[in-house]
Amino acid sequence: LPAGLSQWFPALEVLDVSGTGLAELGAELLALPRLHTLLAKNNRLGGPGSLPKGLGQAPVGRSLRVLNLSGNRFAEVPPALLGLRGLQSLSLGGNRLHGIPPEIQELRSLEFLYLGGNFITSIPPELANLPSLSYLVLCDNKIQSIPPQLAQLHSLRSLSLHNNLLTYLPREILNLVHLEELSLRGNPLVVRFVRDLTYNPPSLQELAGRTVKTRNVPYAPSDLPENLVRYLSLASNCPNPKCGGVYFDSCVRQIKFVDFCGKYRLPLMHYLCSPECSSPCSSASQSSTSQSESDSEDEASVAARRMQKVLLG
Amino acid sequence: FRYTRNLVDNGNGKFNLMILCWGEGHGSSIHDHTDSHCFMKILQGNLKETLFEWPEKKGNGEMTKKSERVLRENQCAYINDSIGLHRVENISHTESAVSLHLYSPPFDSCNTFDQRTGHKHKVKMTFYSQFGERTVCVSRRYPPHL
Repeated sequence: LPAGLSQWFPALEVLDVSGTGLAELGAELLALPRLHTLLAKNNRLGGPGSLPKGLGQAPVGRSLRVLNLSGNRFAEVPPALLGLRGLQSLSLGGNRLHGIPPEIQELRSLEFLYLGGNFITSIPPELANLPSLSYLVLCDNKIQSIPPQLAQLHSLRSLSLHNNLLTYLPREILNLVHLEELSLRGNPLVVRFVRDLTYNPPSLQELAGRTVKTRNVPYAPSDLPENLVRYLSLASNCPNPKCGGVYFDSCVRQIKFVDFCGKYRLPLMHYLCSPECSSPCSSASQSSTSQSESDSEDEASVAARRMQKVLLG
Repeated sequence: FRYTRNLVDNGNGKFNLMILCWGEGHGSSIHDHTDSHCFMKILQGNLKETLFEWPEKKGNGEMTKKSERVLRENQCAYINDSIGLHRVENISHTESAVSLHLYSPPFDSCNTFDQRTGHKHKVKMTFYSQFGERTVCVSRRYPPHL
């Protein structure tokens, strides 16, 4: 970028340097206080120093709303952009990202996040701390699982997950009531149960912990060693609404197929406190509209005592 | 948030001419063409077309891909139900795409197909805009595109 940029064009609002072969965006950008849109697609950005130091604190850092860095060579989300608290739209599509840093949550104003076409293998739960996120694109990556915390993205309207390595989804995804679009094709989603009776019985510590919790046995922190007080605080409630039980480490992972919007059957995974518990996913459509779907015969014949092993990969 | 269908001309009821605008990563479901002719021309960017065989009547497995190709700017394509089904997608993560579509006779519903199972599901097709005016949706809730 030319050195005198901010002197010659102090009122610059939109800058498009896409397809110019740039390997770095330098300090010339920092003093552009009106710049709200920066498009730098299809360049050679990605090495250290691709973005100027102090970007977040500079005048341009406060004004920037839209940043498009797609089609470059970033192997990680450049730390310099994590200070852009006013940024509403970020695209890093078609780069070489292997992950998403938890610091992504610092982009408090983010509404649109495009990360399609990278090599991302997992999603940090901190992504769910973006209160305004409406449009999240994660297609064409290598993602194997979705953290259940993503269900906290109440503003999410569009979620693109196609062409990844997902075999199941967390049950909590049903909580995204404002979700209007969800793409899941091109994932090896589990279609059949594997009937495998594996269940590690709970330890004595776990059984004692469950009894303390379910019978409300009173205790004070002075009654127990610190590690046991902490252990008792980690009890999770069994999601089965008819069961008041809790569990600590020993739980049954079960895959239940749930009708999504009454038409598609998605494999959702959730935890139950024991094999006797049954799945809480009764809010979904009960009627089996697609009679020829072979999974329905699997589901019907699974007794409450059977346990399923999660089919992974 | 997904590709938009924008009606340009309805040819006195004989055809529908529309412009589709595809953002990065946007794709359609696998669909048929309700016994109509369908012409498509790429006006901007590139679109990948994947052709599929019709699923077997009692079929319960993954649908069979026949072929795929990437259509470039100004290229044209044609399909009808006797040729097969297709999925059209903008696979670019950096460029949007625009295509011109001509359907004759016009149709406002078609079947979408689940690639994993071949099951079909009838959908009503809606326009984002008609003759330059934004069309307000009647119902916001529709099945997600898997």
